Amino acid sequence: MRVLTVTLNPALDRELILPNFAINKLHRLRNPSDSVMTPGGKGINVSMILDSMGISNVAMGILAGYVGRIVEEELRRLHPDITLNFVYTDGETRENITVIDPMNDTITEINSPGPLVSERELEIFYKRYLMTLPRVELVVISGSAPPGVDEGYCLKLVKAAKSKGKVVFMESIGPFFDRVLQKDCPQVVRADLRKEKRVLGHELKEFQDYVELAKEIRRLGAKAVVLSYKIVSDVVATEEGVWKFTIKDHVEVSHLLGTGDAFVAGMVYAVLKSLSYYEVLKYGMAAAIAEIRHLRKSELSIEDIERELQSFDIERIE
Amino acid sequence: MKVRDVIIRDISAVFEDETVENFVVMCAKQLRSGLPVVDEDMVVIGFISESDIINATVPSYFSLLQSTSFLPDTHQLVSRFARIKDKKVSEFMSTPPITVREDDSLMHAADLLIRRRMKSIPVVDSYGRLVGFVTRMQILRGAMEKRWEV
Repeated sequence: MRVLTVTLNPALDRELILPNFAINKLHRLRNPSDSVMTPGGKGINVSMILDSMGISNVAMGILAGYVGRIVEEELRRLHPDITLNFVYTDGETRENITVIDPMNDTITEINSPGPLVSERELEIFYKRYLMTLPRVELVVISGSAPPGVDEGYCLKLVKAAKSKGKVVFMESIGPFFDRVLQKDCPQVVRADLRKEKRVLGHELKEFQDYVELAKEIRRLGAKAVVLSYKIVSDVVATEEGVWKFTIKDHVEVSHLLGTGDAFVAGMVYAVLKSLSYYEVLKYGMAAAIAEIRHLRKSELSIEDIERELQSFDIERIE
Repeated sequence: MKVRDVIIRDISAVFEDETVENFVVMCAKQLRSGLPVVDEDMVVIGFISESDIINATVPSYFSLLQSTSFLPDTHQLVSRFARIKDKKVSEFMSTPPITVREDDSLMHAADLLIRRRMKSIPVVDSYGRLVGFVTRMQILRGAMEKRWEV
C-alpha cells in the first residue's frame, strides 16, 4: 500500500441522468443505466481512481448503518484491490444525489450532512490511522467532516502524518481546513471552491484574489497549491512561481463531476514518481481533463492522463 | 487457486487492550463474526470470535449436559456478559493466531477453516502484518467462479 486516503464523511453517490430536468415536475428514467449508485466522498473517489491507475492504496473513513455497508460492499465489488479500514458509527452514512442534465448542461447536487460521530469512535479511528501510517508513503485527506468532528481533529491527522515523514495532500473547505493551513500546512493543498469561495478569511472575487491566496498558502508551507478558477482554469503555485492553467477545449459543465478528485489522483501519481511540484500540478490538470472527457465519475489510466498533458495552456503569472 | 484470488482486503482489527464491548459493537456494525487482534505494528497476535465471547458467558458446567433446554432462564447470560464487557479482548482471544499467506493454496485455507471450526482466517504478509481475510463463503464463491472458467 503506497497511499492512505481519509474520507471522514463518505457517501453513497446516486447519479441520475435526466434530460430537461426541472423542479416541480415528474421525471421518469429511460433506462437503468441512467441511475447509478457508487461509493463516494472525495477520499474514496481518489482511492478508486488511484486503483484504476494501478496504485495500491488503503481507504479509511467513518461509515454508518445500512447505507454505510452498501458503500463498503460496492467499493469492495468495484475495486477489490483497495484495502479497506473503516470504523462504524451509529446512524446512517449520507447519500449525495446528483442530477445530470446533458440537454441543458447542468448539474444539480443535493448533499446531506452525515451521521453524528462520537468522541469514542473518533479515538478508535485515530488509533487505527496511526497504525496504518507506517505502511504508506503518502496521505490524502479529502472532503467534509461529519457532525461531531471538531476543528482540531483534521489538524491532528495532518500533524501525525507529517511527523512520520509522509507527504500530505489536503482538499477541503471551511473552518477546519483554514485551521490546518494556518497551524501545520500540508505539502499539497487544493481548496474545494464549489460551494463557497472564502478561504483564510479572504473572499475570492477577482482573479488577483486567487493569486494572492495561492501565494499566502504557499507562505504557510505548501509546496503545491491549486485553486480552481471559473471552471476552465486553475490558479496553481509552487515555490518557483504562480501560473494559470486553462483547458484548450470547450468544457461541458455536466462533465465536471469528479474532476477535483481526478486532479488530486493525478498529483499523487506524480509525487510518487518524484517529479517536481510544477510537474505534479501539470499531471493533476491533465488528470482532471481526462476525467472531463467522461460524463460520469470514471476510471483513469496513466495513458489517459499523459495524453492530456498538452491539452491546456500555461500562463506564468508571477 | 490461491488465497490471493479470493482475499477480502480489509484490515479491520481490534487491539489487545480494547474491551469486549467494543469488539461486540464492531462485529455487530460490520456484520463480522470475529476479528484479528493486532499489535501496534499491525502484526496479528490473536483472533477473537463471537464464539469466544459466548463461551465466556455460558457457565462451564453446560458442557457436561446433553441439553440445557430444561434449565430456567435466570438471566445468567446477561449478568455474565455484564461482568466481562469491560475486560480486555486479550483475555478471551485465541492464540497463537491461525493465519494464511496470499500465496497459500485455497485448499489449505479451506482445510484450516473446517479443521479449526473458524468462519474466517486473517491473511498476513511476510512480516505477519494483517492484509485481509478469507471467509468460507469467499472460498466457495472462488471455487464456483473458477468452475465456469474450467
